[in-house]
Amino acid sequence: MVNRVSAFINKNRRFIPLMATALLAFVAYGIGVINFEGMRNPQVFLNLFRNTSFILISAVGMTFVILTGGIDLSVSGVVVLTTVVSAALLREGWNPWLVILLVLAIGMTLGFIMGSFIVYLKVQPFIATLAGMWFARGMCFFISDNAINIDERTFRILGQTKILIPGLKELADLQGTPAPYISIPVIVAFLVLLIGIYLAHYTRYGRTVYAIGGDQQSARLMGLPVNRTLMMVYTLNGLCSALAGLSFCLFVSSGHGLYAPGFELDVIASVVIGGTLLTGGSGYVAGTFFGVMVLAITQALIQFIGSLSSWWTKIVIGVLMLTFIGVQAVLANRKLDDKVLDAQSLRRRRQRLAVGFGAAAILVVLAFVFLPKLGIGSNSNQAETTVCEIKPFRTDEAAQLIKEGAVIAYNRLAGPKCIDEMYAIYPDGRVLKNDGVNVVEKKITSAEVDSLLKTIIDDYGWYTNEIRDTYHVPCRQCFAHYVIVADEGREKGATAVDGGVNMPPGYGFTLAVIRAVLPEQ
Amino acid sequence: MKPLAKLTFRWRSIAESRLFFPVIALCLVLLFDFIFIPGFFSIENRDGNLYGSLVDILRNGSAVSLLAIGMTLVIATGGVDLSVGAVMAISASVAGILMNPSALRNEVFFVTDPTYTFQPLWVVIGAALLVAVICGLWNGMLVAYMKIQPMVATLVLMTAGRGIAQLITNGLRVQITYRPFSYIGQGWFILPFSLYIVAFMLLATWLLTRKTAIGMFIESVGINFRSSFFSGIQERKVKLLAYTFCGFCAGIAGLVACSNVKTSDANNIGLFTELDAILAVVIGGTSMSGGRFSLLASVVGALVMQAVTQSMYAIGVPAFALQAIKSVVVIIVILLFSEQVRGLILRVGKKGV
Repeated sequence: MVNRVSAFINKNRRFIPLMATALLAFVAYGIGVINFEGMRNPQVFLNLFRNTSFILISAVGMTFVILTGGIDLSVSGVVVLTTVVSAALLREGWNPWLVILLVLAIGMTLGFIMGSFIVYLKVQPFIATLAGMWFARGMCFFISDNAINIDERTFRILGQTKILIPGLKELADLQGTPAPYISIPVIVAFLVLLIGIYLAHYTRYGRTVYAIGGDQQSARLMGLPVNRTLMMVYTLNGLCSALAGLSFCLFVSSGHGLYAPGFELDVIASVVIGGTLLTGGSGYVAGTFFGVMVLAITQALIQFIGSLSSWWTKIVIGVLMLTFIGVQAVLANRKLDDKVLDAQSLRRRRQRLAVGFGAAAILVVLAFVFLPKLGIGSNSNQAETTVCEIKPFRTDEAAQLIKEGAVIAYNRLAGPKCIDEMYAIYPDGRVLKNDGVNVVEKKITSAEVDSLLKTIIDDYGWYTNEIRDTYHVPCRQCFAHYVIVADEGREKGATAVDGGVNMPPGYGFTLAVIRAVLPEQ
Repeated sequence: MKPLAKLTFRWRSIAESRLFFPVIALCLVLLFDFIFIPGFFSIENRDGNLYGSLVDILRNGSAVSLLAIGMTLVIATGGVDLSVGAVMAISASVAGILMNPSALRNEVFFVTDPTYTFQPLWVVIGAALLVAVICGLWNGMLVAYMKIQPMVATLVLMTAGRGIAQLITNGLRVQITYRPFSYIGQGWFILPFSLYIVAFMLLATWLLTRKTAIGMFIESVGINFRSSFFSGIQERKVKLLAYTFCGFCAGIAGLVACSNVKTSDANNIGLFTELDAILAVVIGGTSMSGGRFSLLASVVGALVMQAVTQSMYAIGVPAFALQAIKSVVVIIVILLFSEQVRGLILRVGKKGV
């Protein structure tokens, strides 16, 4: 029995990382479902896809790059350039479809240029794409110093259209809960995933990619079109990044050069966790999907645990990456050892394993030591950027405004001018702005307020679990937001920072609709 | 015939020297400043201390120079350390929390007393550097003993490091007001104090690598680790040493950076500096595939990066748009280093003489 199992494992060894990731995703989700009532909601499950659609799109492109043994650090640069260019062009009144085509072309061009540096001028991929990231991020600031809001019909429709799931809708109707849905970027992400799987495993191009990753020299000697394929890989990754940028842009409804910090690391981490070797030549596009899911479930779990701050995501991802890389290193070493398996190498392997497990154990112990300490509370009452000394969110004052009859209180901090503004929207249509010096008032109709509330609560699910605090220290020109919405005795506040990659889509949409009715906008 | 041959030889030896390209690049940038920015070279004497744009280049470049010293050794062994920025943040957080532990109680406490500190200065610096060395050891273990690709192994700490730094400071920015500590980054003794730290580290590292066999071991491991192993060099220990030393340098850089802004900000200290450091080393002519290295050339490379930054500030390019210009400079420099262009320059030298 044991022999048969080990024979089976040996035969399917190349699937082990993939299976491990899938298993990890299922187990993590299972733990969440068992421990947290809220995670059983089908909408929460679908939100895993909604929140990470842009990571998935970008990760598929990145998988190909990593399969060839390269790396692309420019993805976050291309993503923010996409958001800024589309926001700027839409502000000028361009046709949205033209804008979409144009930004996709820009992404491909950037990918093509970086590819040619790597292929023909033999610049290291890591340096060429790094320069690409700086270039793209820097160009954003030539276009605009401040964030540009997107208020355009087509983009709104693309971002906010709900696609109901056929089977689940009836189920939800029976239970009387709102029907779970996904959004258009999710569909796009899955299309990209399917195309990626097809390209990687069923075409000549895909086989060439694997061959290059295995050994570029031999691939060239075999007469494979190495240069052309590498150019294709980087160009397609540029396209994927631009597509990811578009779907990110639909979420945040604005564009700025400092958005999406650390996005490339998320993408690379999910590819690695998905079982693709960073040395290239081994891995599956489907694994990347599970890698992204592990990332999403980690975020969701940390959100449901509640007392853990958002930076724990980073640590967990780091530990997961280490584990996967370690497992792969051990597997790769074992392959070598099969040939010369003497006592010494066996001992070495044991040592290596011991070191690995020791390290993992230390991390676990550290985690448990620090875990109880984290229950103190969230860091949401502290907002500071490097350019200005910022006060904490005025949560008490906002709560006071709600008590006095406001339905929405909105505290906005930082930003390029280091502001601290408090807005209050009342049911009778008064919109008050208080920036600490003077008070500005604007009048809208009460019907508008009603529809605003209805949109925020029903369409964007303000009272659902999905809206949560995602505050971290904002980038130097980004705003920090604190919104309280009150209605029929319910009341909920949540914090966020502009351009954070873990900001829930509903929060971004809410900010966009609130922004539209504020005075002096 | 004879003098001609001698001249050719001299041109070749200059053109092939490690310092040639970085110094030329630095001169080009300074020439640009000389032509386009009036007053860039003026140096002011205030109470015996020197101030001016040139001094600023040296001062603001000191953190990257420190990183570049450590990074040179790592790159010379054929590796790379992506985690230096995160290690900077970790060491800054440790130092910050030991001087102003209010963040642990989850409150922001603006200490105004410049003599207040929770722990004495030597404990603060010692603890921060110790933690940085541990981070370097960790990287070295992964690379040398677990045989994980350097880029991948250090990527782990790069991702998790900032999380750890935020964990230490509880996610808050820690204000540092302790006067003796701020001397590290802001003190002046004719020249900025941080310059002396860089000079000391450069000298110490130079002595360590060039006056002992370690430098040769590092180059040998970088050129061919297998044959070094067979010639009796313990390549694992050499790698471990290089990464640990890089962590140590990153720790010092973190202290300089956080003392300079009087804040320990886990999210922003050392952000993207790993890239600056690597590029400084590349400009300094050390090949990314390992082998021969020059510490001085790397430091000059760091100064080139800083000089570009400083002159762009001086002509009024916004801080963030600067990245685009920097990337173009980097690409040009890297192209200059490509075989074809180098060969061309050598040929021109021959013909010209």
